[in-house]
Amino acid sequence: MEKRRHISVVIKHILLAVLALIWLIPIIWLIVTSFKLDTGISVSKFFPEKWSAHNFVDLFKDTKYTTDGIMKYKIWFKNTFIIAVFTCLISTTFVLMVSYALSFCRFKGRRFIMNISMILNMFPGVLSMVVIYFLMKALDLTQSHIGMIIVYSAGSGLGYLIVKGYMDTISTSIREAAIIDGCSEAGIFFRVVLPLCKPIIVYQVISSFLMPWGDFVFAKLILGTNSSKWTLAIGLYNMLDKSRLNAHFTHFCAGGLLVSIPISILFLIMQKYYVEGITSGSSKE
Amino acid sequence: MAKKFVAVILSAMMVMSCIAACSSDDKDSDSGDSAGSGDAIQDLIDSTDGTVKLTVWASEEDQELTKTLIDGFKAEYPDVSFDITVEACSESTAKDTVLTDISAAADVFAFADDQINELVRAGALLEVTDSYTFNVSEENLAGSVEAATVDGKLYAYPMTADNGYFLYYDSNVYSESDVESLDAMMAAAAADGSKIGMCVSDAWYLYSFFKGAGFDLGLADDGVTNTCNWNEEGGTDVAQAIIDLCTSGTFVNAGDDAGIMTGVNDGVYSAVVSGMWNAQAIEAAYGDGYAATKLPTFTLNGEQVQMSSFSGYKLIGVNAMSAQAGWATLLAEYLTNEQSQVTRFETRGLGPSNINASASDAVQSNPAIAALAAQAAYATPQRVGGNYWAPAASLGSILAAGNPDNTALQTLLDECVAGIEAAVI
Repeated sequence: MEKRRHISVVIKHILLAVLALIWLIPIIWLIVTSFKLDTGISVSKFFPEKWSAHNFVDLFKDTKYTTDGIMKYKIWFKNTFIIAVFTCLISTTFVLMVSYALSFCRFKGRRFIMNISMILNMFPGVLSMVVIYFLMKALDLTQSHIGMIIVYSAGSGLGYLIVKGYMDTISTSIREAAIIDGCSEAGIFFRVVLPLCKPIIVYQVISSFLMPWGDFVFAKLILGTNSSKWTLAIGLYNMLDKSRLNAHFTHFCAGGLLVSIPISILFLIMQKYYVEGITSGSSKE
Repeated sequence: MAKKFVAVILSAMMVMSCIAACSSDDKDSDSGDSAGSGDAIQDLIDSTDGTVKLTVWASEEDQELTKTLIDGFKAEYPDVSFDITVEACSESTAKDTVLTDISAAADVFAFADDQINELVRAGALLEVTDSYTFNVSEENLAGSVEAATVDGKLYAYPMTADNGYFLYYDSNVYSESDVESLDAMMAAAAADGSKIGMCVSDAWYLYSFFKGAGFDLGLADDGVTNTCNWNEEGGTDVAQAIIDLCTSGTFVNAGDDAGIMTGVNDGVYSAVVSGMWNAQAIEAAYGDGYAATKLPTFTLNGEQVQMSSFSGYKLIGVNAMSAQAGWATLLAEYLTNEQSQVTRFETRGLGPSNINASASDAVQSNPAIAALAAQAAYATPQRVGGNYWAPAASLGSILAAGNPDNTALQTLLDECVAGIEAAVI
């Protein structure tokens, strides 16, 4: 009996290990290709013959490629980072405010607003692409980072659902206790609700920070042809043009790998609070 | 209440942007009428007051060159103050970027000739009626002028004649007489133990067999639907010839560009069908054996048939909505004139479309450009609608795999042609 259980555990783990390997192959390939000495794409060998870190060095060097706009990695990284930070701040603020109002306050039309915004949020954002472009153009915000930040964060309040759901689990007795102790509405929001919402704030911060790193459609539409304004997604895609593949494919892999760094750092910092928020459990019923 | 306010603001903004767009349209028609004589330039200078603001879109690789050329352009007209911005836009995707918003697109932009139909239909290109400095149709290669022409009207300025495919080979493996026919090449490759690579499953390359055998593929009168007669009598012979080649073992379907370059770098392919964009990489791999020539012939019903190809050109167009149409036209002419094309060849190695420039010794001694020029006699401009690519690619994959399901070849061709000729929704 005991033996049979061991065998089943071993089989399960082998299966999981194989699945994990299959899932990891593309990522491993990206990593090893980014350390390849030869430039250009080659599909006959999984591991490169000669290893080198020159692809990473090239990305940050000022060369002819930088002035041409093929490889302005530093600038693109900075652009994306700035847009991501502001988008993250603004949209997290929006979402928290909307969620608080809808979760704790009772006012006329609350349910109606909730329903409407939920329906609106169900439409994919790209549907409004053309209208957004012309609005941005009328406001002279195309080819500008402010325009990008507006596009990414303006409608974010509609994505209140998850945060509101979390806030709904905070007992109303905490809020009532705060009111009895003479706390203002702002005080309740900042001193009582926010500390209790740390895990979901972390979730919100990470997901809104991620948006500009991965979005291609809006960035391409709004930022257009000025390569100094591009974000990483457009810049990296541009390296894959047929005429540049031989020279820049490994740079593309290295650039793609580096994108994960700021996101990983953010996650590592935030993870502490994430765990802390879950385990502290301050609600005493 | 607030929502109503927002709605009003939004609609007001839309109306305003419409009005703005309309008013700039009016301006265009005024500045567009310029005469074609030598005095026209003087007229243009006289009628210009203030700074001439122009935007130019050139490919990333061309940025430095374009800026140098523009400095030369400014120097030609010292009395006029220019504010010319150069931005990056790859020629292969220019159409998408321009058509996103024509009014926001550059005044002068470079693009690949396969995009011209859609650009013209969208009204993005200013027709070339008169010229200021040189006769565009007479000074450029006939093929490039044809590629810049839609419905008998010239819409763009040919800049390079370097897009298309031909044969790269290792002269240590093949003699000059071997590369005349695929049969001789396959014998030489078999003796050497190497292979010949071509992207048979890529519709762009598959065309070379059918067109070479005399079958047609083109655009219907509406400019978007395809016409194709590959399934007519004799079509199955071409299909069989492709199967025979691909099952021979020495002629290999490389799949895609990555496959071609992998095979060349690994020393598997001693000859490949590819284009200018791989020239440097292939030269590095073949070393002193590096050579290029026109495509070989293939055997069809026991006879030798010359393979055809798509020829591609890069063109410069003037935005039909440009507020400075006169100066934009003059700049487009300058960027594509003989001297600029020579400079472009010298700095970037791109084959000129200008007749005088392309006849120069320097151009002729570049193996890849010479091969492309030799292939030009058998090449046709790429005039196909979007429905061509997927059905032809799937036909190519089936033929390259040796028709594993043994479907009747006629059925395969019928299905493929039905897909190619399908109406565009």
